[in-house]
Amino acid sequence: MKVQINPIRTFQNLGKVSLLAGSIISLGLSGMAQAETFRIGITQNNVGVDSYQTTYEQAFEDAAEEADNVDVVVLDAGGDVARQISQVRNLIQQQVDVIIIWPTDGQAVVPAINGARNAGIPVVVTNSNIAEAGQPLIASFSGPNNIQQGAYAAEMMCNQLGGEGNIVQITGQPGYTTAIERQKGFEDRLPEVCPDVKILDTQPGDWNRAKAQRTMEDFLTRYDNIDGVYAADDNMGVGALNAAKSEDRAGEIIFIGATNFAVGYEAMARGEYHGSVYQSPAEDARNALNIAIAVAQGKEVDKMSYFDTPKITQENMDEFEKPVF
Amino acid sequence: MLQFFGKHGISVAFVLCVVIFSLSTQKFLSTDNFLTVVMQASIIGTIALGVTFVVIGGNLDLSVGSLLSFATVLVVDLHDKVGPGTAILLMFVFTLLIGSINGYLIGYLRLNSLIVTLGMLSAIQGITLVYSGGKNVDISDQTNTWFAFFGREALFGVPVPAIIFIVLGIILQIVLLKTGFGRKIFAIGGNATASLFSGLRRNRLVFSTYLLSAFTTGCAALILGSRVMGSQNNVGEGYELLVLAGVILGGTSLLGGSGSIARTVIGVLILAMIQNGLLLLGFPYYTQWLVTWVVIIVAVWLDIAAKRGKLFSTY
Repeated sequence: MKVQINPIRTFQNLGKVSLLAGSIISLGLSGMAQAETFRIGITQNNVGVDSYQTTYEQAFEDAAEEADNVDVVVLDAGGDVARQISQVRNLIQQQVDVIIIWPTDGQAVVPAINGARNAGIPVVVTNSNIAEAGQPLIASFSGPNNIQQGAYAAEMMCNQLGGEGNIVQITGQPGYTTAIERQKGFEDRLPEVCPDVKILDTQPGDWNRAKAQRTMEDFLTRYDNIDGVYAADDNMGVGALNAAKSEDRAGEIIFIGATNFAVGYEAMARGEYHGSVYQSPAEDARNALNIAIAVAQGKEVDKMSYFDTPKITQENMDEFEKPVF
Repeated sequence: MLQFFGKHGISVAFVLCVVIFSLSTQKFLSTDNFLTVVMQASIIGTIALGVTFVVIGGNLDLSVGSLLSFATVLVVDLHDKVGPGTAILLMFVFTLLIGSINGYLIGYLRLNSLIVTLGMLSAIQGITLVYSGGKNVDISDQTNTWFAFFGREALFGVPVPAIIFIVLGIILQIVLLKTGFGRKIFAIGGNATASLFSGLRRNRLVFSTYLLSAFTTGCAALILGSRVMGSQNNVGEGYELLVLAGVILGGTSLLGGSGSIARTVIGVLILAMIQNGLLLLGFPYYTQWLVTWVVIIVAVWLDIAAKRGKLFSTY
């Protein structure tokens, strides 16, 4: 067993050959194809791990089906950075027109994105952004504006409290960009709209309902005067609601979340939950595809192409479908 | 002095924690808060009861976190489909089935428990994701179901999760100390070869410890599912290490052969108390990790020091 094959090397060489062959063919064909069909490849983070990503994939495929000028190559990295990097390399070899990437890791995918750029393929990042170093390399970021979502939550909290009160904050996983941004958006906006609302305490709930419930139990023991709870998503918000209900204090507290989940929607319908931000995975997917098509057509796109995530409260919830996740 | 700390170090640490927190904040020392702590400890604690048997028997179980996710998703999802009773029954059937796979591989095939249960940790997480398709599961009618009993109700003012935890703890403490089964577990963990020559059926005993840890994990899933009335796919992620921390803190030897249920209970309570107390004091979350680490290190140190009769090693 002395023969050693370096699969990556071989792969790269194959890639170069096919790139070369591809460019010769496309040279020959250029000018022929007028009613252009674009090929767009997407490598997703981890489909199947939660309903958001599952719905996203479905919506993406549906939207691609409807648009008559795109063929899509849909891949999933299964949460594995190494697999995502090799998928990007694959898509480069397949000479797609645009690559959409839902980063498994905002830092580690940057070299792969650079590779795509060197091969002349623009990259659109979807849902969660990549590291600062990669920003000049991408055509656009398509996703929710988490800072805005936090700010919306602050405005709703302010409204519901009538301008004054004491609140506690339950944040997402420490270190997570989404968690940091939603906290920042909230904390920056709150004193602007409601200088008299005071944040008593902030603790992480790790996006976990059971953990948020436990944290809220401790808050309720510590403070006798909680008027509102801001949780970075409804999953944790409902955990906090559970805790308050078991202490019979839910009636005196305003609950605001920053991504509407089905459980939050239902609690809102029961009148127990007061506000959240509606983020549709289908809208997320359609926005990414549209931006990618625009990029493929050579149109100017915004570097930050946010899709709309409106406020949802008990008053306007009829306008929204119940979230699938 | 050292012997005393080695033997009762964990109880001393427990009392010390209570005193420090009580002096620092008047919210801490109240019946309500104490019950909250026991309730918060009950999920990890209930699992730790079963895992203590596994560890005394000389093995490890790292699959309990994933198994908790699996069992909770299963019981919550089935609740609306087949009713609470059947859901609980099916949950225990499948949870024990997975426990028996662990037990078979480790007890009968003699595979290394660390490797088997580490593999099982990912395998069960995978099964959970396939089963649920990645969706969170919820119980639709949360108020009118007797399933709420396990996590949300109280008997004589004591939350049911705390009762499950403590009663199960007392039963298993008696099993461990007063029955032949318990003594045999100590024997196989203490000296596997000697126990084999004494005619103990090691394979069957190891198998039963994994069945036991799967059972207590199932009980914890009942509490968790009922308390939250829903479940995420990764709800038990990281629990295996918290459970192990509680067991180690209770002085159970990772090499097997010694340990106690009562001390595991105290160990788990200390961990929960640190979390609760620091939050009541308004410390940022990361101090919990630091303090927890310090407490574990000191506890293990005292334990070792008592065994060798000195605080510091001479070689």
